Amino acid sequence: MPIVKTKNLSKVYNPETVPVHALRDVNISIEKGEFTSIVGPSGSGKTTLLNMIGGLDKPTSGTVEVNGVQITGMKDSKLIDFRLHNIGFVFQHYNLIPVFTARENVSFIMLLQGRDKKEMQQRADELLDQVGLGDRKDARPAQMSGGQQQRVAVARALASEPKFILADEPTANLDGASAMNLLDIMQRMNREQHVTFVFSTHDKRVIDRARRVITMVDGAVHSDEYQKAEEYDESKA
Amino acid sequence: MYTYIKLAWRNIWRNRRRTLITVSAIIFAVVIAIMMQSINRGSYEVMIERSVNFSTGYLQIQDYRYDDEASLDNSFYFDDELRRRILDADDRIEKILPRIETFMLAANDQSTRGAVVFGINPEKEQRFNELQNFKSDGRFFDPDEQAAILSEGLANRLQLAVGDSLVLIGQGRFGMSASGLFEITGLIDHPIRDLNNQAVFLPLQTAQQFLSADDHLTSIMIAPQREGQTNSVAQSLKRELDGSELVVFTWPELMPELLELMELDLAGPRFFTLILYLVIGFGFFGTILTMTMERLKEFGVLLSVGMKRARLASVVFIETLMISILGVLVGMGAAWLILKAIDPIVLYGDAAQAVIDMGFEPVLPMSFAADQFYIQGFYVFLIAMAVFLFPLIKVMRLNILEAARS
Repeated sequence: MPIVKTKNLSKVYNPETVPVHALRDVNISIEKGEFTSIVGPSGSGKTTLLNMIGGLDKPTSGTVEVNGVQITGMKDSKLIDFRLHNIGFVFQHYNLIPVFTARENVSFIMLLQGRDKKEMQQRADELLDQVGLGDRKDARPAQMSGGQQQRVAVARALASEPKFILADEPTANLDGASAMNLLDIMQRMNREQHVTFVFSTHDKRVIDRARRVITMVDGAVHSDEYQKAEEYDESKA
Repeated sequence: MYTYIKLAWRNIWRNRRRTLITVSAIIFAVVIAIMMQSINRGSYEVMIERSVNFSTGYLQIQDYRYDDEASLDNSFYFDDELRRRILDADDRIEKILPRIETFMLAANDQSTRGAVVFGINPEKEQRFNELQNFKSDGRFFDPDEQAAILSEGLANRLQLAVGDSLVLIGQGRFGMSASGLFEITGLIDHPIRDLNNQAVFLPLQTAQQFLSADDHLTSIMIAPQREGQTNSVAQSLKRELDGSELVVFTWPELMPELLELMELDLAGPRFFTLILYLVIGFGFFGTILTMTMERLKEFGVLLSVGMKRARLASVVFIETLMISILGVLVGMGAAWLILKAIDPIVLYGDAAQAVIDMGFEPVLPMSFAADQFYIQGFYVFLIAMAVFLFPLIKVMRLNILEAARS
C-alpha cells in the first residue's frame, strides 16, 4: 500500500473571478522508504501539492490518501490530529519554538501526542544525537546556526514517528556545507531507518540526492523519474 | 500542563520591556483603585465599628413596635428565661448586652440640655465594648448605685464635674413622671461624637426603677463570634423568637443611612476606577494584540505540526492570565504596604478643625477590608477575559496556510 496516493488532484484558486489552476489532475503514488523530490519552476504547483499531501490545504477536486486513509474532506480537528500522528514537517524557515531549547522543541511534538515524559526525553536526546546535535540540546534556536536549527527541525519531524516527512525547500536558507550536512543526515535516515522523505525544492544538491524526481509544470506532473542518486558519504555525516 | 505553563511564561518574557510596561500599568491601576477605596471606606468603617460596638450591636433584639416608636412604652420584659433562650438559640452568640434607653432633660442648677439616658450594666458593657476604657475622670458606678456617668461634651455644656449632682427630668414607662437627682461619679470621652455631647449612663437597675420599667429593656445588643456570622445568627434568633413580640435586626438594617452614605461616597472612586481600568484595559489589549499578531506564523506552524486549536488558545489564555495575575498580586501587595505606611493620615490645622466640627476625629483611617483587595483581582480577571477574546477568535479562525505565509 502506498504511503501517499493522490487521485485526479486539482486546485483552482479564485474559481469565480480569475481562475488560477495551481494543480491539474495530479496522480502520484509514493511508497514507503522513498526519497522523492518534487521539482519545478516557481508557480509550477509543487508547494501546493505538498500542502495537499500534508493536509494543510483542501483540493478543489480529487482526493489524497495517506497510508490508506482519505484525508480529503476530513474535519479540521481530526485533520490536526491525523497530521500529528502521521506526517512530519520540515519548513524552509525552520519554524522552531523560539523560547524552547532544542530538546524541548523535539519533545513538544511527543507531548502533544501524550507520550510519557521519560520516553519523550530519551527519544529527543536520541534524535538530537542522530542529527549531530548531542552537544546543543539545551541551546535555544537563537543560539544556533541555520543549519543546526534545520537539523533540530528534522529531529522534531521524526519525533512523532510519522509515516513520512514533508520538507518544503529545506535547504533554501542554508549555506552549502550546512545543506550537504542536512542532506547527508536525511539520506542516512532514509537508508538505515527507511524514513520516507518528500521534498519540494529548486536545489540541485537535493535533486541529485533524490532517487525519484517528480517534475511539475503548470500544475501538472510533467515527468516522474527514478534515478541513481548520489551516494551518502559516511565521512560527511 | 507544566510544559504549557512553561511555554506561556517564556512567551510573555519574549519582549520583556513590553510585558513590564503592561504589568506596571495593571499594578498602577490596582494600587490607585485600592487606595481610593481604602481612604473612602476607612472613616466609614470606624464609624460603623463604633456604632456596632456602642450603639447597635451586630444584632439587636427589640420589641416589634420599638423601631417605629422608640418609646419606653415599647420596651420588653427581660428575665433569665429570655436570656437563656437567646443564648441557646445559636452557639455562635458570644456576648449579649441589655440596655434601656430614653430621651430626657439633663439639668444643673442653672441650665437644661437634652440627653440620651442609657441604663447599662458596667461589667457587661466592659466585656462588650470596653466602655470603661473611655473614662476620662472619676470612677464607674456600682450596679445599684444612684449615680451617673456623664459624657464629656454634655458635662462641659452643663458645666458639671465629678462629684456634682445631675438632675434628670422626663417621662417613664406609660407616662409615669421620672425626675431624679444623681451623683456624677465619672466622666467619659465617648468615641461616638454625637453621644459624647448628650449621653448619660445610669446603672441598669437604677434606670429601670427610675423609669418605672422594672425588668424591662429597650434593646439587647448581641455580638456573634465573628462578624460574618451575623446573618446566620440572626436567622437562628428569628426562628427562636418567632411568635413572640420580639424582633431581630442586623446592624445594616439598623443604620441603613450610614451604609447608603458610604455607598454614595464610594460611587465617585468606583467611577474613577472604571475609567482607570478602561484605559489600562486598552493598554493590556494592545499588548495581547501585538503578541498575537506577531506570532500568527508561529501559530500556523504549531497547528500544522499537530497542536490542537483549543490547546493553542489555552496557552495564550495562560499568558493573558499570567500578566494579569502578576499585575494584581504585585499591585495588591504594593497597595497594602503603602496603606500600612500611611495609616492613619492625621489632619492638622483648619482641616482638622473642620472635621472636628462635623463631629469626627481629625484622622483619616485606612480600610484594610479584604474585599476591596480581591475585587480588583476580579476586575482585572474580567478585563483579561475580554482581552483574551481577540487571540481566541484569531486562533479558532486561523487559516494555517495564510498564517504560515504571514
